Amino acid sequence: MIRFWNRRFKTGTLTENPEIDKELRIIRKEMKNLVKKKFAGSLAIRMVDSGSCNACEAECNALSNPYYDLERLGIYFVASPRHADVMLLSGVTTFNMTPHVLDAYRQIPEPKWVISLGACPVMEAPFEKTFAINAPAGEHLPIAHHIPGCPPEPIDIIRGFLAFLRKI
Amino acid sequence: MRLIARYAKEAENNFEIVTVWDEEIHREQVSKRDPRIKTLTKTHPAAIWFERKMHDDYGIIIEDAFDNRPLVHQERFPGDIYPMRKDFRERTLEPDDYKPYKYEAIGGDGVFEVAVGPIHAGIIEPGHFQFSQAGEDMLHQEVRHFYKYRAIEKMLEGKTLFEAKPVIERISGNESIAYQTAWRDIVLQATDRELPLDNRKYHALLLELERTVHHLTDLGFIPNDAGFGAALAFGSKLSEEARRELKKITGHRFGFGAIDFESHSLDNEAMKAYLDTLNEAIAFFEAWIIDIPSLWDRFDTTGILKLKKAVKYDTVGIVARASGLALDQRNEPFYLEHGFALQTQKSGDVSARFKIRLEEMKNTLEMMQNFTVETCESMNVGTVTDGEYFSFAESSIGELFMSIEIKEGVIERFFVRDPSFVNWQALHLMMPGNIIADFPLINKSCDLSYAGNDL
Repeated sequence: MIRFWNRRFKTGTLTENPEIDKELRIIRKEMKNLVKKKFAGSLAIRMVDSGSCNACEAECNALSNPYYDLERLGIYFVASPRHADVMLLSGVTTFNMTPHVLDAYRQIPEPKWVISLGACPVMEAPFEKTFAINAPAGEHLPIAHHIPGCPPEPIDIIRGFLAFLRKI
Repeated sequence: MRLIARYAKEAENNFEIVTVWDEEIHREQVSKRDPRIKTLTKTHPAAIWFERKMHDDYGIIIEDAFDNRPLVHQERFPGDIYPMRKDFRERTLEPDDYKPYKYEAIGGDGVFEVAVGPIHAGIIEPGHFQFSQAGEDMLHQEVRHFYKYRAIEKMLEGKTLFEAKPVIERISGNESIAYQTAWRDIVLQATDRELPLDNRKYHALLLELERTVHHLTDLGFIPNDAGFGAALAFGSKLSEEARRELKKITGHRFGFGAIDFESHSLDNEAMKAYLDTLNEAIAFFEAWIIDIPSLWDRFDTTGILKLKKAVKYDTVGIVARASGLALDQRNEPFYLEHGFALQTQKSGDVSARFKIRLEEMKNTLEMMQNFTVETCESMNVGTVTDGEYFSFAESSIGELFMSIEIKEGVIERFFVRDPSFVNWQALHLMMPGNIIADFPLINKSCDLSYAGNDL
């Protein structure tokens, strides 16, 4: 373990994107009064996959790696919709997942928002409509914000969260 | 013989049941009016999902199957609809009345069931696991999937091979390059072309880089599920760097659109420098992780799949090799000439599946050194000839099998069997004797795809 800590100290902090930090400082000021009341200083996200290819999920997982370290911005992925402010929805809203997605949405306490992630929920991915696909998700849920991309890169997702926070 | 796949196709007057074995392909014709077949599950238990799917897709009756429950069609799916039949052309479905699904369960005093999913407590794909528990001990587990069912097979019918490509590369994002490689081989067969060596090396490099991203992710995630978070920080840093490398080469972090017949050039020096850094990091990781006894205490003897069962369930990929089954699509002259060495382990537990990834990672690095090319030329693929074509690829999970039938220049039947489709069916064998708290660890050590399985 000692070798690990030696390497750890030598490596230092990897977390990057200073431009986002700067943007965030500005945003933090903007939303101070507004969001502090609604989110108590932190935004809790429940990610729901409604039939993606798993690339959007991989990029959301990447948000926790040392390069992005999303939690430093006060944004957390939570395990239960009951702990969430926001549902982050990926995938084409399959016929089989639709009732479960709606169920998860019902479990989120008010006030709540849905952010759609990637090309699938808005039917901009190459997938064509079939009987097994119920997208666009906007026909089933109120979408407050959309983060485009196939898949959106981690930095696009962070920017998307910031744009959402500015909007509400 | 090893069962690779079993699926149906619709002809004018009958259904053809194609059973792909490692040594032969067996075809059986059944009438459309009363389609019935006999099950293969007595000798090959993993045939059951293929057969249940065949029933849902085409309405083919499996006469003596031990399990007649729907597979793809879930609780609200309208009855008597067989969407893979050519005369089914609906674009939307009205949800039907809720028909409960009867899970496999073990009865008895004090035995209770735990239902997990389809939405799990993390950033993960949807699927359902039903456990029969005696206290903390798992007695049985049933895996239930197809929540992500997008009807990809139907979607691709009527398209040309090139129109289908953007969908094929997005079937399972984690295995995109493997899917594209399987697609490429079908294009080459259908156009009767040979791929120049440099192009083949370039494509193989990308496939190994994709494997690198996922093996590194797993090498971090598996210890994390045993409570050792530092490994995840280390592994996810390395996998992020590998993904950026993939983007540098292909312009996309998952390599969507990367496998084609165009010309490409590589910055060899940058690639070599990257491989050297990664090599050093892996050596450090190995020396460090081997030396954490409390971690191996969780890994060793957890979630064992015995060789005999691995063979019986026709498992493939990491899961099969960790149990001692020498099975890898890369075990052929081209890869062997470029440094491929087949890795196997014996114990079939979480340890073995972790160590296999570590060993394969080192071998992959060696191969990538040999796959670096300066440039590869573009090639003209020519016209596609009608016919039925088969191809294989070894994704980071295991053997991928693809079959495409082309009629009048467009896809008549698209079939693909993700390695996860067979391996999911062997997952429950790893559970008895373990406590439920070890389920996430065992599941992660297999790291199977939901999207590729569900289609």
